[in-house]
Amino acid sequence: MSAVAAKPTAGSAMNPAAMAIGGVMFLILIGICYFIYPIGVMPLILIVVGGVLIGFGVHFVPVGGAPAAMGQAPGIATGVAMLAAGGGLAGLFGGAWAAAAGQDALVVVITGGIGGGLMMAITCMMVNFVYVFGMGIPAASGKVAKDPITGDTQAEYKSQGTEGHGLPFISFVGGVLGGIFAGAGGTLIYLELLEVYTAALPTVMGITATQVVPIAVSAAGMFAVGMFLVNAVLTAYNITGTIEGPHDPKFKRWPRSVVASAVASALCGLVAILIVAM
Amino acid sequence: MEHIVFGIGITALTGALATVAGSAEDTESNIGSQGDPNSQVQLAPQMGFLHRIFNKAVAGEPPAYGLWCALGAGLAWAFMAMQFNAVLAIVLGSVLAVFVQGVYATTAYVGRTASLSKFGQPVYVDILKSMTTVTMAHAFIAIFATVALCQLINGALGHPFPLPLLGLVWGIALGAAGSATGNPYYGKERQYQNQKFGAGVPISASGNIVRYAEAGERNSLDNGWFTTKIGGSAAGVCFGLIVFLELWRTVLFEQVAAGWGAIVVGVLMILVFTVIDRYIEVWARKNYGPYTEAKEASS
Repeated sequence: MSAVAAKPTAGSAMNPAAMAIGGVMFLILIGICYFIYPIGVMPLILIVVGGVLIGFGVHFVPVGGAPAAMGQAPGIATGVAMLAAGGGLAGLFGGAWAAAAGQDALVVVITGGIGGGLMMAITCMMVNFVYVFGMGIPAASGKVAKDPITGDTQAEYKSQGTEGHGLPFISFVGGVLGGIFAGAGGTLIYLELLEVYTAALPTVMGITATQVVPIAVSAAGMFAVGMFLVNAVLTAYNITGTIEGPHDPKFKRWPRSVVASAVASALCGLVAILIVAM
Repeated sequence: MEHIVFGIGITALTGALATVAGSAEDTESNIGSQGDPNSQVQLAPQMGFLHRIFNKAVAGEPPAYGLWCALGAGLAWAFMAMQFNAVLAIVLGSVLAVFVQGVYATTAYVGRTASLSKFGQPVYVDILKSMTTVTMAHAFIAIFATVALCQLINGALGHPFPLPLLGLVWGIALGAAGSATGNPYYGKERQYQNQKFGAGVPISASGNIVRYAEAGERNSLDNGWFTTKIGGSAAGVCFGLIVFLELWRTVLFEQVAAGWGAIVVGVLMILVFTVIDRYIEVWARKNYGPYTEAKEASS
């Protein structure tokens, strides 16, 4: 069977033992933080929530990879981690701005989410624009007979010898939702790290709170971008290649990714917090 | 009021710079066959189709542009710290970043093509000499425009991120927008110009890319010329809209209702793009029609 003909086994490979080990590792990492830097536990837990939001959100993003660039498969013609990073970082940019304006934490996180969603909405719309007006190809899904939202039939709009092309409406909605989750998650990580650094750095470096702001913003921003990429790449491995969106059978694999993202975020977050604790 | 008018002016300028950056980025990546269509350029010799297409997939476009823009922004920031004029600093930073891009492009072309030697694909030195400089020129435009808009966001609009971090963030977003929008046009419409218009490339045709031009063999400059008309423009509009609307909603509405104003406007803009997308999708289904009758649809 060729790689093209092979169908994904859609979430059937959940490994309870691995999930349990992941859970134990997560608890150990939280425990280490509790013993070394107790006031960092709550930010660390929220950092993990941010990482999990990114990992979960990336599953929504319709990514077609190389086949999509030839109109052979639906989705956006780029890599999973790449696209999610583009959307999520645009969200992080907006969230960081709102944080600097002194807005409430909830407003900051939602602003980040909307920034990611807006980036994805524009990108998904332009993808369909190019397919339809540049290449004369209508959108069609290869994974479902009917679009779950609009009810449009898909099979007769697939051109011969392809798995579908473009972004059916469900994929567009998935892209926007993915951008919202990823943007909100990245912003939450940034916000928590900024809080930890702003509180701890004046003592650690022996400078005033005003002097510490640019350093705290830069360090929190860099760690947020890094942890964003960790979670996005981790999820890309879980997806293995391409995914059409929330209607794709591969979407059911998300629990595995959520556990992995929680452990990875806990480890990265612990390191990020410990640089000011030790 | 004056502050808001100034902010809107800067926002418009950044939107224009982003449009130029998006267009140059997509054209650069198409001339270099970076991004997903590279798979076909790499596959073609393995299927027996030797070609003279430049093949410089350094990495995916988003991380590549993340690197180059962060490098350009970081160097510009360092020059500005040395009291250089901001415009000169951005130009010098972008030039140095472009040299890194050129080194990557050269090693990528030589390395990737050499790996195809067992299939008889030669490394063309004239291609290396003529294409690398053209991709570098386009990369310079993309990096300069992106670093300049980052400087405007940081210096004039007061975003808290330092210039190098903004370069990384917007470089990755630039690569994501450019590759998402521009790749299908290059991958399907140009590389597979020999296939039917208005249909995807059948999987069985993979690797059979168009290798001949009106006169002689096709090279990547022809591809850049072709794709800049729609793929490059669309990528420019895409990145321009992203930057402009993200800044616009923040500059005008961030202070409304303690930040909720920017959120509501963002949601409304998402809904507007959702309606436009749905219109495009339905328009295509009505005007192009199905490929097969619904009852026969089984492929």
